Amino acid sequence: MKMGEVELSCLAYAKMYLHASQFPRSSVNGLLLSSSPAGAAVCITDCVPLLHSHLSLAPITQLALTQVDVWCSQTQQRIVGYYQANACVSDSSPTPCALKIAEKIFEQCNNAVLLMIDGEKMFPGCRVPPIVMYERKDARWALKDKHTIMLRQWEETCSIVNQLFSSGDQTLLVDFDSHLDDITKDWTNQKLNAKIMELISPANGNV
Amino acid sequence: MSSISELYDVTWEEMRDKLRKWREENFRNSEQIVDVGEELINEHASKLGDDIWIIYEQVMIAALDCSRDDLAWSCLQELKRQFPDSHRVKRLAGMRLEALERYEDANKLYDSILQDDPTNTAARKRKISILRAQGKSSEAIRELNEYLEQFVGDQEAWHELSELYINEHDYAKAAFCLEELMMTNPHNHLYCEQYGEVKYTQGGLENLELARKYFAQALKLNNRNMRALFGLYMSASHVAASPKVSAKVKKDNVKYAAWAASQISRAYQMAGRGKKENKCSVKAVEEMLESMQITMS
Repeated sequence: MKMGEVELSCLAYAKMYLHASQFPRSSVNGLLLSSSPAGAAVCITDCVPLLHSHLSLAPITQLALTQVDVWCSQTQQRIVGYYQANACVSDSSPTPCALKIAEKIFEQCNNAVLLMIDGEKMFPGCRVPPIVMYERKDARWALKDKHTIMLRQWEETCSIVNQLFSSGDQTLLVDFDSHLDDITKDWTNQKLNAKIMELISPANGNV
Repeated sequence: MSSISELYDVTWEEMRDKLRKWREENFRNSEQIVDVGEELINEHASKLGDDIWIIYEQVMIAALDCSRDDLAWSCLQELKRQFPDSHRVKRLAGMRLEALERYEDANKLYDSILQDDPTNTAARKRKISILRAQGKSSEAIRELNEYLEQFVGDQEAWHELSELYINEHDYAKAAFCLEELMMTNPHNHLYCEQYGEVKYTQGGLENLELARKYFAQALKLNNRNMRALFGLYMSASHVAASPKVSAKVKKDNVKYAAWAASQISRAYQMAGRGKKENKCSVKAVEEMLESMQITMS
């Protein structure tokens, strides 16, 4: 992979999509993780869905960031980005809250990405990934060139997401907010991860 | 495709009672309501008596939520036929237009209701919801404030306003709304906890101490509110770590934080029992509590 390129794994994409779908009336957000070593390119290999309410309030966000940080160090992963889907689908621009959190992540990761999910493109049969990515350039967050964003096996990823919906497995997704409502629920989503990995064919190598 | 009654082995009475429960508790589990309600209406309409009309209303709204315009339309037709001049039914017609994003048409309908009956709160609130759906937050806030001047006891409206202010990062005004809600609902732990979160977000020593008090109050009302427990831990820790506090205040807050930490640990130990997949979250919390530990100096 080249400098400035970002690769988004099927696992990360699927869980983000499921998260946004689970809470269609709220804004949702989460963290993007990488299990690859730091380098010129960014490989987003997983994500942690965080909140679906009160995104701009500090305590739970701080708590979640701290816990994910700890979990990452235990599992050799790094936080490399942030995603958000706005409740108002017609506006997928980053909110002040999104910029703030992305900024914090950038402090630790100099090629961090900010990913906004474009709700208007989340319909069955849409041929374009419903995502808009931003990167830090000249002290602001600028739109990333679409050609530097890689979604390997896009068709397969779409089909996996559809399979998750038809099997009802999309309900397995737990975000941090849901975890706080019931702490027996696992926000690292081990069960769902396993299900998704089963569906991913051996051809899709490095996830 | 098997029916709900077959799948879950329930009678039509149980389905009707479930719908009533969801209605009374104001749950928005629209997909379930559509599944259960549609079957009830199609198979058992004659047995429902006068209940059917409120069920049509409930199912229609849930259908709109699930983009089932076919179902919403047929429910609406039944209601229109039975209650031809009803404002309540007109409001439902308006909601359908909203779901189709025909906001101008919806507004016209609501305006006609308000011309007939200027005190119709439902129509006014729908107009505010339209502003919110269109992303016109400042207008929605302005209208909601005007509404609340007239209808000062409307809890739903106060809560909606607090949400709008939180989204706009106007924490002081959000706090004001939550204060109104806490006054009229002193036993509601969620309002106390949300108030604590807002105060914590505002920051500064005074607000953190206030936050701690309200998290503690939330826990008194419901000792299983994890957000309040974590909130108490974090706010007490921050107060104790502040250079501006007296030795006594520091000591007290260290005590509060330590208590909260032990409660959190206990809760996670119990949650993690027997569930392999929870080991990750349990370990993360343990390490977090260790790393955030403040030392007594």
